[in-house]
Amino acid sequence: MTSRAATREERWLAVALWALAFAALWATESAVGFTRDESVYFYASESYARWFQQLWHNPSRALTDAAIVRAFDYNHEHPALMKVLFGLSHLLFHDTLGWLRPAAAFRLPAFALGALVPALTFLLGSAVYGRTAGLFAALSFLLVPRHFFHAQLACFDMPIAAMWLLVVYAFWRALDDRIWGVLCGLFFGLALATKHNALFLPFILAPFALWRAWTVSEKQPVARTGLWRVVGLFATVAVLYGVLLVALGPVGFQKKFLLLSPHTLLFAGLAVGAFWLPHELNRHHPPTALALLPLATMAVFGPIVFYAHWPYLWHQPVERTAWYLNFHATHNHYAWFYLGQLLRAPPFPLEYVLVKTALTVPTSLFVPMVTGLLALAGRAVLGLFERTRALVRVPGLTEALVGVNAVASLLIISHPQVPHFGGVKHWLPAMPFLGILAGAAVARGCEALVERLRVWRPGLSLATVAAPVFALLLLPALVGLVRVFPYGTSVYSELAGGLPGAASLGMQRQYWSSNVTAVLPWINEHAPPNGRVFLHEVHGLSFRDYQRNGMLREDLRPAGPFDADIAAYQYHQEFREHEFNVWESFGTRTPATGLYLDETPQVVVYQRR
Amino acid sequence: MRSPRKLLRALPLVELGALVLVALACLAFQLRLPDRFPAEADYRAVAGWLKAEARPGDAVLLFPWWTEKARLYLPPELPVYGYLGSDGDDLDAHPRVWVLGQPELPRADAAGFQAAFLPGRTVQGAPRRAGRLELTLYENGRHRPRRFVASEAYARARVYLESPDGQRRDCAFDGRTHRCPGPPHLYVAPEWHEILYQPRRCLWMHPPGGEQRLVAELDGVPGGTELRLEGGIIFEHAWQRSPRLSTTYVVVEDAATRERLLEVAQPPGLEGVQKASRTLPPGEPRTVRVWVQADNPESRQMCVELLALGEAS
Repeated sequence: MTSRAATREERWLAVALWALAFAALWATESAVGFTRDESVYFYASESYARWFQQLWHNPSRALTDAAIVRAFDYNHEHPALMKVLFGLSHLLFHDTLGWLRPAAAFRLPAFALGALVPALTFLLGSAVYGRTAGLFAALSFLLVPRHFFHAQLACFDMPIAAMWLLVVYAFWRALDDRIWGVLCGLFFGLALATKHNALFLPFILAPFALWRAWTVSEKQPVARTGLWRVVGLFATVAVLYGVLLVALGPVGFQKKFLLLSPHTLLFAGLAVGAFWLPHELNRHHPPTALALLPLATMAVFGPIVFYAHWPYLWHQPVERTAWYLNFHATHNHYAWFYLGQLLRAPPFPLEYVLVKTALTVPTSLFVPMVTGLLALAGRAVLGLFERTRALVRVPGLTEALVGVNAVASLLIISHPQVPHFGGVKHWLPAMPFLGILAGAAVARGCEALVERLRVWRPGLSLATVAAPVFALLLLPALVGLVRVFPYGTSVYSELAGGLPGAASLGMQRQYWSSNVTAVLPWINEHAPPNGRVFLHEVHGLSFRDYQRNGMLREDLRPAGPFDADIAAYQYHQEFREHEFNVWESFGTRTPATGLYLDETPQVVVYQRR
Repeated sequence: MRSPRKLLRALPLVELGALVLVALACLAFQLRLPDRFPAEADYRAVAGWLKAEARPGDAVLLFPWWTEKARLYLPPELPVYGYLGSDGDDLDAHPRVWVLGQPELPRADAAGFQAAFLPGRTVQGAPRRAGRLELTLYENGRHRPRRFVASEAYARARVYLESPDGQRRDCAFDGRTHRCPGPPHLYVAPEWHEILYQPRRCLWMHPPGGEQRLVAELDGVPGGTELRLEGGIIFEHAWQRSPRLSTTYVVVEDAATRERLLEVAQPPGLEGVQKASRTLPPGEPRTVRVWVQADNPESRQMCVELLALGEAS
């Protein structure tokens, strides 16, 4: 057996972890400001929800391309799943029931997805390394302040981390259970509908499916032949798509991708073959068929769910999907401050992802991640050689799956041409797996200690040792989280020297503008009636959101540095000119107030003289 | 010798020990961190000292450079310097510099600061402490007295656009700004701008484009001084390297003889303040022409300062 189902007790613990995380996120969200992207998603979500209302009242009109584009054109840079959930939640809990403030209603689905990470991390970690490891991984995840911050936003970074984990979990379960094989494909579709990170999942999971199929089909010629047929099918379809692309050119390929075209015929052939071949194989050798099932479901359900979930694609699937993919393939590079240098364009430093992770994940959690990963890699290396193989437990497929997923997102973003802005959020999908490896490191230490101590105290339980160790390792993270909350984009680890150390190192002070919440009460108190306020870097929609959520006075109007009565400058190294514009315009270099987190300037407020 | 198997078995315990030690260090760091920050009373105490003892011309330098919270409290008439790179700033406009330091902050590199700051400076008295704040006065050996500052003399300047054939179109002075005919960015006035993170009060002189020049004629530049031209493209524009962008030229000429006294050229992609200087022979004050030119004026927002400096004190 490669995978295993969760026990009843584990399932209950997972539910408890989900509930605890969900409650913690919801209970504290009101302090968290609206990031630039989040207000865009709020706006898009409302638009999408209105379309669903129209669909209910007037389906024939709602289903026209004009109506769909009117509703879904805004922010079509990202698929619609999360925004639809945000919008429907807002429609229900704010507009209809009036139970929640607008922002909380939007964010509720994000909490649900974010809370899924500790729960799933626990299930996977428990199954692979035991309950102690799973519990440590689960508890530590949201104690990383930047994780907690991202889990509170109506954005896609934490939802895609949850979806990634869900797909990997389903894939792993699918190795022994057909139902999970089907679910894996459906979850992959939902992951694609969440964020484009999911596009990398097949490349990461397919080798494992083939590895598994290869090992279980050993000495089974019929099964091996079936495996080669499936591989042949995928390879043939890939080659034929390649031929079409070369023959027609990218524009022609896109133009001729019609309902009745070789392109769709190939997909239909793949869909039929991908299910028929494993079905046939299942009659001769079920384990091989089972191993290949996730490949089939991901290849078929993924695109179908992606297309079906996004009305914007319904009338023009090819052009709009191509635009979406091209948008992310050619994404802008935003300025980003890193070790005293302003990174504006590629090539970016190769070690950036590693350094940024080391400087932002609490060190007491980062170090076990490193030792956990090194131990796994060390065992894999020792397992390669006959002389040393007997010394270690050679990692199997499951551990390799955890290890590869722990580094995959980090490696993808490490590529020097990939955009590097946004702190750690772009490689969040790796973090639960690194957490599991950290849990493994802590658990094996606790187990070894208990074994030694049982010489003197035979009845000693693992929990007696694990509890204080957990507390000790988690406490620094909790203290840091509480002190810097809700300013999650500003957090730096002990290794960095906290925020002051990171400022001296020349690291990005903050981003996304949500720290402005710290100075809103002062602005509400000091701005003149109908005053003009320059909230630097704050999106115009966020200004509106602060007002409608009761955080900023309704009479205040957005303004620029040259016509504002009050200016709140967000400290960014790349935007120093904006602060000096305020000096010039306001006739003063002396701030009125500001947010100085652990002494570091984050938001500096000026009042016109 | 212990067998490798035994060593491997001991590893988890060693690993746990290391993790516990790291966690203890982290906990100690987190719990002690708030003690490293100054209290509001400390800032007020320092502000009081400076109010009482600072002289006109003094400046405050922050260490580490980013500790700008002090601006909330310090006397507004006292210039406060703190920007990425300010440790090595000559601050040559100021005969005395007060260093307001927080040496106990994590990763505050006191040795690095001193290496950049101390050469040419002499400490005046012992450092004073207010909680975690440390205030130290230095005599600034890099001070250069100002004999002429263009951004202070600009109101008396004659400003015009000059074509290659010598034709001039005057830029009328409205009491604050010399405003030129054409697009609204063609004017000359002192403004605060950023040149590679450094805040600078300098003359905004945007090149008009083509072979045209924006010229400011300044009277009263004294002889026997060091004439120094400092200028740069502001904000993020200097970084851009597009081939369609042009090199920007800033030139200082003697108005009477048209002798080229100083010149800086800033090609696309070159960031920071560009400097040129020369010694002027003793003699009567002269009139100089400062002009800017760039074939393509796009993203060539130039800020310029012209100084005549006396001997180091």
